[in-house]
Amino acid sequence: MGRLLLAEWTKLASVPRWVAAIVAAVVLTVLVGLLGAASSTSDANRHWDFAVGPDGRSVRDDFHLAHRPLAGDGSVTARVASQAGLVGELQDRARAGVILKEGLEPGSRYAAMMVTPGHGVRFQANFADEVAGGGTGARWLRLTRFGSVVDGYESADGTAWRRVGTVDLAGLPSTVQVGLFVASPDAVQVTRQFGSVGIGGHPTAATATFDNVRVEPAGSPPGASWTDRDVGRPALEGDATERAGGFTVSGSGDLAVVPPEDDVVRLSLTGVLVGLMAVVGLGVLSITSEYKRGMIRTTFAASPRRGRVLAAKALVLGGATFVAGLVACLAAFLLAQPTLRANGYGPPAFPRASLADGPVLRAVIGSAAVLALVAVLGLAAGAILRRSAGAITAVILLLVLPQLVAAALPVSAGRWLQRLTPSAGFAIQQTVERGLCLPEDGCFPEGPWLGFGVLCAYVAVALAVAFWLLRRRDA
Amino acid sequence: MSTTIELRDLRKRYGRTVAVDGLSFTVAPGEVTAFVGPNGAGKSTTMRMILGLDAPDEGAALVGGQRYRSLPSPLRVVGALLDAGAVHPGRRARDHLLWMARAAGLPRGRVEEVVELVGLGPVAGRRAGALSLGMRQRLGLAGALLGDPPVLVLDEPANGLDPQGIVWIRGLLRSLAADGRAVLVSSHLMSELEGSADHLVAIGRGRLVADTSVRDLLAAASGDRVVVRTAQRTEAMTLLANAGATVSATGREVVTVSGLPAERIVALLSQRGLAFSEVAAHRASLEEAYMELTRDAVEFGAPATGEA
Amino acid sequence: MRQALAAEWTKLRTVSSAAWLVVAVVGCTVLLGSAMTASVDTSQCPSPASCQEDTVRLVLAGVWVGQVAVVVMAVLAVTNEYDTGMIQTTLAATPRRGTVLLAKAAVVTATVLAGGTAGVIGSLAAGRAILPGNGFTEANGYPPLSVTDEPTLRAAGGTVLYLGLVALLGLGLGAAVRDTAGALLGVLTLLYVAPVVAALVGDPAWQARLQKVAPMTAGLAIQATRGLERLPIGPWAGLGVLAAWAGTAMLLGAVVLQVRDA
Repeated sequence: MGRLLLAEWTKLASVPRWVAAIVAAVVLTVLVGLLGAASSTSDANRHWDFAVGPDGRSVRDDFHLAHRPLAGDGSVTARVASQAGLVGELQDRARAGVILKEGLEPGSRYAAMMVTPGHGVRFQANFADEVAGGGTGARWLRLTRFGSVVDGYESADGTAWRRVGTVDLAGLPSTVQVGLFVASPDAVQVTRQFGSVGIGGHPTAATATFDNVRVEPAGSPPGASWTDRDVGRPALEGDATERAGGFTVSGSGDLAVVPPEDDVVRLSLTGVLVGLMAVVGLGVLSITSEYKRGMIRTTFAASPRRGRVLAAKALVLGGATFVAGLVACLAAFLLAQPTLRANGYGPPAFPRASLADGPVLRAVIGSAAVLALVAVLGLAAGAILRRSAGAITAVILLLVLPQLVAAALPVSAGRWLQRLTPSAGFAIQQTVERGLCLPEDGCFPEGPWLGFGVLCAYVAVALAVAFWLLRRRDA
Repeated sequence: MSTTIELRDLRKRYGRTVAVDGLSFTVAPGEVTAFVGPNGAGKSTTMRMILGLDAPDEGAALVGGQRYRSLPSPLRVVGALLDAGAVHPGRRARDHLLWMARAAGLPRGRVEEVVELVGLGPVAGRRAGALSLGMRQRLGLAGALLGDPPVLVLDEPANGLDPQGIVWIRGLLRSLAADGRAVLVSSHLMSELEGSADHLVAIGRGRLVADTSVRDLLAAASGDRVVVRTAQRTEAMTLLANAGATVSATGREVVTVSGLPAERIVALLSQRGLAFSEVAAHRASLEEAYMELTRDAVEFGAPATGEA
Repeated sequence: MRQALAAEWTKLRTVSSAAWLVVAVVGCTVLLGSAMTASVDTSQCPSPASCQEDTVRLVLAGVWVGQVAVVVMAVLAVTNEYDTGMIQTTLAATPRRGTVLLAKAAVVTATVLAGGTAGVIGSLAAGRAILPGNGFTEANGYPPLSVTDEPTLRAAGGTVLYLGLVALLGLGLGAAVRDTAGALLGVLTLLYVAPVVAALVGDPAWQARLQKVAPMTAGLAIQATRGLERLPIGPWAGLGVLAAWAGTAMLLGAVVLQVRDA
């Protein structure tokens, strides 16, 4: 096998055109990425007025809160009796529950147990770490604090409690605010017409009734009393009224990280799509040229184990393309970032992206891997079809057409198309989880690894078919 | 029909290699002109320039006094076979000839005529990719003959033909020349052209090496060597050497003599009473004559085995 | 010229792949158009009557795939001759190189126009059958598709012209590059990758510029029958942009063919 690898490497490196193709792929990736960066501007920072969360990210910390202080260790318990929409329909992610917050400034740390109509009971801390609780119907919620550790519990009946989540808020002051909160995010409507999309949104408000509200110890700090206010700047003013043993709270807003409007990392890697074209040509030609000139017979005479030949070709091609792709993607990313920041893609609206971040590294290395996989896909297509025209056409269609078609179809149909075609591999470039994931933004519904997996599956199947055909056919 | 091919000071370089360097000769009608030279000498390049496919850097290649590109219906003036493999493998042989006929404004029936002429009848309906090498060669010839042209330019027409095919081609070339056409045939194998070539143009390293009639060439090269087979070799050698001939022993009972005509050798040997079984005037083959001629001009030669 | 045309037509019709490619143009156009039409219905709009769907453009969207067969046919018409070496025979038969290119262009474009017309008619017929079932009925403001309707006629005829221009683009690039893989990649990148890259660029101003200039997005503007003011470029102007691309490619191809050795 080692000899085969060497032979295939020699073949690849000794054709000036093919070396040129690899170089072209690198150059195109970097150039198009830079051009894209230079021609993109964002004025998001000009009107970026979101609060800053504990880890520096922009957050929405808007809701209505009925609260009182709590000094030292203790707990807050309540039962959410009902939840309903007040302005607009009740949203899936409308939240109602108990909260323990470090202070009342937007962006301050907190832990909360809440009920949502669409996603059941959830424990959330510091705008992240949403942990789903048990089944439906469990409407008793409790937060306990010991030192700096806050735990969240749920119960169906108020007696049997199950812990849902926990968080360690190091340095939590002795006195914190606890209480009941209600939030309701904007309703977003996407209208799709052929080839264009309209996105509309309007704020909503929800209301919830709480009873069996208890803070223990009740007298800590002494003289503590309930009051209510809007935290942050919800679009609609909220309200809270005290009733026997409980409250009715209404409010608007959301507790969530605000994702950047654009994926800065993916923007700098736009050129990969163009570099892919050169790579497809390389993959296909590396085998069809042997068929055209009859050299395939020499190859198979030298190495009768045809499967190994195919494997060797794939390894050499994939390896060379991966290395070249890595250079290209690293260069594209590093060179484009300063330009993008200068064009308005900087903090706070767009957190600084660095290779030390897991998602960023995944996007860059993953893009190089996509280049390598597509090269091998081209190889397999060329082995199956044996004619360069057909193979090139097939691979390009599978890679690029779904993006275009998905942008024109209704969102659900478009998403299916994205899931099932090799273009799903581009998902690996995503570093931002966006609220609204539309195909025309290059956003893929499945997570990055799933999308990448789809591409891998295509390559594996294509190679298997090629392998089978190679052994069956005459040279 | 007195159309000639005329090359004047033709020069062509590819990059740093000079493929053709100041080539001038004429291909006359009514005879078969063999265009010979070692591999890489520039034969194909020259032929491509005659057909207007490559543009010469200097000089001109004229057919009937005109450049190829300005001929109104070129296939009717020049029939060419450059590369028999230059066919679409998926197209049927007959259809390949048909499109050429259309390009030349020839009627459909002409296709059938040339198909019969070259002996492709049984396979004309096959796809070109399914034809054997020899059949493809005949197809290329058919294409060259389609327009009944007064000039023929054939690059290695005998390539891939079996022995009968080679015999057939020789006959064909002779009959074409007898019609009064100017036939330019290139080859790097002399044996193919033996017996069919009237005139010889030899090039080496892009330059003209020889431009002579075949008869003259053979006469110059043959010399007057005679092969004598006799049991009394030593005596015969002494006798003939004393008579002024150059002798060498080329076999157990074989002597090669040069410098004396065959009749004189017979007379001398009979006079002395030396028995001999064979006295043969050795005729140089075209191949030998040519090798002698181009010994210095070979560009890509392997070292001769056995020779220093 | 007449002889060159006859020769090129004979070449095209005697190779089975050409026939298959024409079938592919028609088939792919109709199939994709039907599939996309079938997947869009009025349920995703607040009310069927307020759905601002451009049904003509939707129905004719099959050319997104159909054009690939056109590109392959056009590119191969030139590059295949270089691949097999037959270009020598062609140029020996017709030494006037401009004539050769024009004859090829005429024959291929005529075939593409014929196939394109069949594809467009098929797509319209399929659309006519599918749309009412998806809620796009007369009552909701969507009269059945008909070429007597002026915008529909423009969209349909323009689509056929679009395919013809794409063929010329492929032919020209094929003659300029003389290599199957290179020419094919070049044309397909121009057509397919440019719009995707344009969509990913952040700046709306640059997006609009790119879409005005990219051959596919500009050329397909001819298909729009609604919302014309939202298009990056007007219908006929867009087709003109594609014509400019095709013309440039053909010019380039003609120059290369004329000047270079065969």
